[in-house]
Amino acid sequence: MKKILALILALTMVFALSAVAFADAEPVDPDSIEDNMTSDDNVYEVAFVTDVGQLKDKSFNEGTWNGVKSYANANGLSYKYYQPANGSEATDDDRIGAMQAAVDGGAKIVVCAGFLQEGALRATASANPDVKFVFIDGYPLAEDPSVEDSPMLANVAGISYQEEQSGYFAGYAVVKEGYTELGFCGGGGGTNPACCRYGYGFVQGAEAAAAELGAEVNINYSWNYGANFQASSELQTMVNGWYENGTEIVFACGGSMFDSITAAAGANDGAVIGVDVDQSFQSDYVVTSALKNLQGSTEWAIGKFYDGTWDDIGGTGTVLGINGDYVGIPTATWSLENFSVEEYEALVEAMKAGDIVVDNSVLEGGAIADAGTDLVTINYIE
Amino acid sequence: MAFLVRSTLVYAVPLMIVALAGVFAERSGIINLALEGIMIFGAFVGVLFVRLVQQWGWFDAAKEMNNWIALQGFMILTMAVAAALGAVFSLLLAFAAINLKADQTIGGTALNLLAPALVLFLIRLIVNQNTLQMATGDAASWFMIKKTMLGFDKKAKLGFFASAFLDKVYLTTYVCILLFIILSIILYKTRFGLRLRSCGENPQAADSLGINVVKMRYAGVTISGALAGMGGFVYALTTTNCASNGDVAGFGFLALAVMIFGNWKPLNIAGAALLFGLFKCIAASYTSIDINGDGVFLLANIGLNSNFYRLLPYLVTLLVLAFTSKSSRAPKAEGVPYDKGKR
Repeated sequence: MKKILALILALTMVFALSAVAFADAEPVDPDSIEDNMTSDDNVYEVAFVTDVGQLKDKSFNEGTWNGVKSYANANGLSYKYYQPANGSEATDDDRIGAMQAAVDGGAKIVVCAGFLQEGALRATASANPDVKFVFIDGYPLAEDPSVEDSPMLANVAGISYQEEQSGYFAGYAVVKEGYTELGFCGGGGGTNPACCRYGYGFVQGAEAAAAELGAEVNINYSWNYGANFQASSELQTMVNGWYENGTEIVFACGGSMFDSITAAAGANDGAVIGVDVDQSFQSDYVVTSALKNLQGSTEWAIGKFYDGTWDDIGGTGTVLGINGDYVGIPTATWSLENFSVEEYEALVEAMKAGDIVVDNSVLEGGAIADAGTDLVTINYIE
Repeated sequence: MAFLVRSTLVYAVPLMIVALAGVFAERSGIINLALEGIMIFGAFVGVLFVRLVQQWGWFDAAKEMNNWIALQGFMILTMAVAAALGAVFSLLLAFAAINLKADQTIGGTALNLLAPALVLFLIRLIVNQNTLQMATGDAASWFMIKKTMLGFDKKAKLGFFASAFLDKVYLTTYVCILLFIILSIILYKTRFGLRLRSCGENPQAADSLGINVVKMRYAGVTISGALAGMGGFVYALTTTNCASNGDVAGFGFLALAVMIFGNWKPLNIAGAALLFGLFKCIAASYTSIDINGDGVFLLANIGLNSNFYRLLPYLVTLLVLAFTSKSSRAPKAEGVPYDKGKR
């Protein structure tokens, strides 16, 4: 018995050692990195504060968190995540609490996800000038927004994405594929700029493809039941009704809302477009996903701090888009048949060259209904 | 129209079965305010069981071969597990209310507070997040009955009856309706049912005739817990893609309202649950309800504010309660701890 135990122990050590040896040779699957790491001195250098919704939302939070822990893991840094209290009803105080906890926990750099963190971030960043903050889906923050020409907080880096571009690709791709009855379910109740950009880009892409095909496209467009980015039975029933009445594919644009939409798709053999990360791994009904490279850009931003070039991004806003391939749709898990990877890549090149320009206006709430599309009819559902 | 019938049933069935759970407890003389808590707990147990069984791979072969009969068996097994654990959970209330003669309202409230906290705590321990989901796949692909399973062609147009009741439905709906009928008959047509009801009206008289009041009340609460636990899992399966997050959207409290609304009588409860389910369904999907099948979405075209539709289920409940509550009659001895010496 003892011998077997010793053997097992020895084997485990060998495997552990080889795992370490290979660590920097190839990219590590983020899911294989422990979410809760324990550091010996109880200090956590790289911290992450979540947006509303849960950490493992298979989307926005999780994508950003994967960037945080991948960077920390690859560089041997300690890392930890903090979730503001009160879940989706979190107030600025709750968020300040989480950020301050991160700072008190020894964080040198704190990644904060979601534009809702603005107020809390301003307060915490002003109070802790030595700590760097990466504001994902954010913008540079003025020290005092009520004063004109107030200097920007140099320790906050605003990172935002051109979601309209990846929304455009998704809309273009599915219409090219032959879908004409589309749906869009957005999170944030029509007030989240990122979701608004995704949605408007989606409409523009659908319009462009419809023009090429001479097709007519209908889009059911709704912010209902998405205010908290949560799954709900009401959302499921609503989308069920869509599929039942002919909608073929729905863009699930909001964290855990994805679960309700795939449930409805499953009941009706419908199709789904994922958001933020490649969600085809989570459901068989996902045809494609509108991506933004959260993991890559988070790693890049943290890297800026550790290689001493923080000043490039600190105090300013960085907009990441098709240049650098920070947005797009996934080609590794391509499942479309009438629209090929080559055609997509040509589209990407055209966009990089500036031949295709996607309007990045944030059309909040029902403004989308007056977007002025010719071939795409938007059925805005209040 | 078929869609409306189907979605109404999805909302109405958990309400109906949980309201019947309330009836069994209250008819035996125990106010079961803990329905919400037991539902939350039952949903958690059911989802956890599905997840564990998936991880153990017991039904992988059946899933692989599309053996949907085996998968339905798996689902019914899960319902039984959720019911059993729901019954165990409700014993906490029974013990406090019967043996300790504690205030039943407070006992029930305590369980309602305990359940979400306990469930969230356990989910955190298990998956380190706020929601417990199936290990693989989704509820529809594992448990839903679709027309292709019953031998229809995928493109076949079904008649109204078949498309409302045989396509895209969960077997849980019919199991619950069947249970509802059987239990209603037991409550009204058997010796056990009569004894149980007598303990809720006049336990002293029942005792004087040799009925064991404590036993009857335990039976009432246990059946109540089993039904509520099962209802919780049914809710999670059919409306939240088999996920548990320490919340059943107030369905337990709604079931209490439905029970009072239905005057503690099964037939009225079924009607009340259907009414509420119908309006709930209209609220969520009024823009895509096509009543007579002519492609016109009447409700969307009226142009009423969407919040009005969302208000409807609650407004209707309030209105009907206001008009019917005068004639409603609660079991006389409910909420009163049984005391032998009291006359």
